[in-house]
Amino acid sequence: MEKNMSKKPTVQPALHKVIMVGSGGVGKSALTLQFMYDEFVEDYEPTKADSYRKKILLDGEEVQIDILDTAGQEDYAAIRDNYFRSGEGFLCIFSITEDESFQATQEFREQILRVKNDENIPFLLVGNKSDLNEKRKVTFQEAQDRANKWGVPYVETSAKTRDHVDKVFYDLMREIRARKKDENKTSNGRGKDKNKKKKLKCTIL
Amino acid sequence: MDVPKEPNFHLLSAPEFVPEKYVRTISHNYVGGSELKNLKKRIQALSDETNNSLKKNVYQNYVQFIDTGKEISHLESEMYQLSHLLSEQKSLLSALSATSILEDRTQVNFERNPKLDEHEIEEENKLKLATILEKVEGCKEIVEANDRVFIFEGDLLEIDATENTAIKFVHMYLFNDGLMVTNRNSNSRGLMRYAFESLYELSSLAVVNVRDLGNIKHAFKLLIFPDTRVFQCSSNASKKEWLDKIDQAKKLRLATEQQKKDQTVEKPSPVRAVSMDLSASKPEEVAVVHPEWLLDIPDELDVCVAQRQFEDAVNYLRKAQNYICKFNAKHSAPDAVILNIQEKVELKQNNLIDILMNELEVNPKKSFQGGLRATRTAVRLLNDLGRSTQCCDLFLKLCSTMLKNQAKKLKRETSTITYIRYFTSATFTNMCYMIEEFLRAFPDLPYCVSAYVAWAHGHLTIITNHFWTQVFVTKATLSTITECVQLIRAQCERLCEYGIDFRYKLDGQLRKFINTALNEHRDKFIDSIKLRANEDKWIPMNFKTKGALTRCLQEHEKMGLKLDSYVSGDVWLQLTSSNIAFTKLFLVFLDNCLNLQTTELLEPINDSLCSVFEAQVAYNKQALTFQPEQNLFVLKNIGFLLLVLVELTQRKYKESIGFECEPLNKLVNENSALLKDLASRNTKTKYSSDFL
Repeated sequence: MEKNMSKKPTVQPALHKVIMVGSGGVGKSALTLQFMYDEFVEDYEPTKADSYRKKILLDGEEVQIDILDTAGQEDYAAIRDNYFRSGEGFLCIFSITEDESFQATQEFREQILRVKNDENIPFLLVGNKSDLNEKRKVTFQEAQDRANKWGVPYVETSAKTRDHVDKVFYDLMREIRARKKDENKTSNGRGKDKNKKKKLKCTIL
Repeated sequence: MDVPKEPNFHLLSAPEFVPEKYVRTISHNYVGGSELKNLKKRIQALSDETNNSLKKNVYQNYVQFIDTGKEISHLESEMYQLSHLLSEQKSLLSALSATSILEDRTQVNFERNPKLDEHEIEEENKLKLATILEKVEGCKEIVEANDRVFIFEGDLLEIDATENTAIKFVHMYLFNDGLMVTNRNSNSRGLMRYAFESLYELSSLAVVNVRDLGNIKHAFKLLIFPDTRVFQCSSNASKKEWLDKIDQAKKLRLATEQQKKDQTVEKPSPVRAVSMDLSASKPEEVAVVHPEWLLDIPDELDVCVAQRQFEDAVNYLRKAQNYICKFNAKHSAPDAVILNIQEKVELKQNNLIDILMNELEVNPKKSFQGGLRATRTAVRLLNDLGRSTQCCDLFLKLCSTMLKNQAKKLKRETSTITYIRYFTSATFTNMCYMIEEFLRAFPDLPYCVSAYVAWAHGHLTIITNHFWTQVFVTKATLSTITECVQLIRAQCERLCEYGIDFRYKLDGQLRKFINTALNEHRDKFIDSIKLRANEDKWIPMNFKTKGALTRCLQEHEKMGLKLDSYVSGDVWLQLTSSNIAFTKLFLVFLDNCLNLQTTELLEPINDSLCSVFEAQVAYNKQALTFQPEQNLFVLKNIGFLLLVLVELTQRKYKESIGFECEPLNKLVNENSALLKDLASRNTKTKYSSDFL
C-alpha cells in the first residue's frame, strides 16, 4: 500500500468504459475473459459485477478499456441504473440459442436509453454462441432487423472459438472514441446532430 | 547342467522359472518312463493343490469383498446422515446470524432463536454504535437513526479511478442499510479518530469486484453516479469479506423490506437514510421485496433434488408457483425478481421432471426388483407436475420391459404345455397387476387408460407371436395345441375383470394358426386312414383273450360307445381293426375340435370332421366291392360308423355347440342306400349273420 501511495501519478492513456449487459448465462463473462485473457471458461458461475481493465492498441493509439461485466440479474433497479450510468458504450449480448435472452435485449436497450438519456449511445447488439449454430433459435435476420430498428450494428460472436470477439470490443471502442472526439469539438446540440449523421453512415439502411 | 529339482510351488512360481528349460532338464535326467510318470503325477498333484488353494483364496476374497461392500454402504449412510446434520447446523447458523442482524424495534416477524441471544445481540449493537459515535465525528444522526445495525468495519485505501494512484486511507462502516465512509481525522488527537464523509444507501449502491486493474490488486469499486470510487483492501481475503458482507446485507435488506411491505402496505417506503451523495438523485422506484424463502427456492430445489427428496421438491415448486400466481394477479406490472425466480423455478422444474423421467426410463443396468411399486412416487410426482402423458408412456415401456424380462426368466420346460401354462399365467398375472398399478397411478385420466388399452393390445400381439412359435411352429400334436389354446384363453379372460375383453382379439389372432393346424392334422389323419385301410384284412377283430376284449369294451364305453352288440364268441368283435382305430382317433380329434371351436372356426372344423369321416367310409365302401365274400360284415362296419359313431358325434357336437353338425348328417344321408341295404339284409339273414 505504501508503495502504491508513493508512486508518482503517470499520464494514463484514454479510458473507454464498456459495459456488458444481457440475460444470465448468455456468455458475458465468457466474452470478457476471452477478450482479456484469451481463455474460454466452460464452467458457468453467475457473475455479480466484475470489472477489468486492459491497455490495448486501437488503430495505433494506446487506449485503456474498462469492462464492467454486470450480473444478468440485479434486484435493485437503482443499482442497475448506477451500473449503466458509468458506461460509455454497451455490448448488449444475447445467446442465439435462447430466444428469451434475445427478447430481453429490448428491455436492456430501453433501460440504457432511459438512464443515459441518449439515443446515440455507442451500442452493439451481439449474438453470442455462434458455434452452436445447430441449436440456433434466433435467426440472423431477426437479430439484424432489431439492430436496424435501433440503428446499431449487429455482430455474431463465439466466446468459445473467439470468433468476432475482438471485433465487437474494438468496434465499440472506435464508436466511443469517435463519440468523444465529437463531443470535444462541439459541446452543444450540434454535436448530437453530427452524431446522428455519422450513425446513419455506420448502419446501412 | 542343473540338477532337476523336486517340483514344488516355490520352484514353479519363481520369477526365473522357464518351463522349456525345466522340461529339458527333466528329460535329460530321467531315463525311465515310470520315473517320468511319477514326476507327472507329482506335478498333477501340485496343480490340483494350487487349484484348490486358488479356489479357497477366491472364496475368501469374495467374502472379504462382500464385507467391504457392506461396510462401504454402511459408511455411505453414515456420511449421508452427517451431511444432513451439517446442513441442519448450517441452516441453524444462518438463521442465527439472520436474527442477530435484524434487530428488533422494527417489529419484524422473524422466526427467531432464543430470546436471550436477541437481547445480548441488541446490547452488543448498542455498544458498538456508541463506540462509533465516539470515534467518528459528525455521524450523530446516522448512528442514532432508528433501526440501524452495525455489521462490519475496516480500513481501506482509496484509489483514483482513472490514474490508478492512491488517494487516502479511509475507514468504512457497513450497516444493515448503508455503507459509511469516514476519513482519518488529522485535526483531532482525541477520541474522534475519523470524520464522517458520506453514507451510501445499499439499495442503490452498485458494488463492482475489480478483477483486473493493472497493478492494483484486491480492489473493489463503488459506482455512485456520477462518481466511481475504487477501494483497495489489504488482501484478497479481506476484499472477499467486504464483498460478501455487502452482498449479504443487501439480500437481508431486500427480505426485510418485503416483510415491512407485507405488514404495512399503505405506508410509504421505509425510513430513508441520509445520503449526501444521493440527495440529488431522484427517488428510486420502490423495489417490491419478496419473502426470503422465495428467493431461496431455487437453492432449496437443488438441495432436494440432490438428496432425492423429490416430494419436498415438488412441494417447494407448488409453493413458489402459488406465490408467483398470487403475486401476478395482484400486480399488473412484471417484477424483475419474480420473473427471475419464475424462470429459475421453471428451469428447476424441468430439471426435476427430467430426473423423474430418468427414474422411470428403462435402463439395462437398473434392476426391476421393486417392480412397478417402486415407480409409484415418481409417477405420482410427474402426474402432479402435469406430465401424465409422457409418464404414462414411460410407465408402459417399463411394463413391456418387465414382461419381456419375465418371459426370458421362465425356464424352457420340456413339455410345451407346462411351459405355456407358466408363460400365460405369468404374463397375464403381470398384465392384471400392471393394470391395477396403472389405474392406481393414473386415476381419472381417460386418455391414459386408452393408452393402456392400446399398449395391452399391442402386447397381446407379442404374446400371441411368442405363443405361435412355442406351440404351432414346433408342430405339436393337436391335443397339445388344444390344451395350450384353452390355457391362453382362460388366462385372457382374467383381463375381463378390469373391463378389458381381448378374447375376440385373441381368437382372431389365433384363428389363422388354428386353421392351419387343423388342416395339417386332417391331412395326416386321412393319410393314416389310408395306411390302415390298406393293411386291414376286413375281418372281425380277434382279441385272443377274453380279458383283452373286455378291456376294449370298457375303453369304448368310457368314450361313450356301447360295442356289446358287436361281440361274437368269447374273443371276437364284429368290427375291423381299422374302424376300431379310427373310432378312437376320431373321438379324440372331435374332442380337440370342439375345445378349439369358436364361431369363426366352425366351418373348418366341420370340414375337417367330414373329410376324415368321409375318407374312412370311402375305404369301407371300397372293401365292399373288393371283398364281396365279406359283404355283410363290411356293411355292418359301415353301419357302425354311420349310425353309432355319428350318433355319438352329433350328441357331443350338440352339447358343445348347440346344434348338430349338418354336413355330417348330409354324409349319412348320401349313404342311406347302404344303410337300407344293411337293414334289409339284417332282417333276412338275422341268423346267418350270427354265425359269422
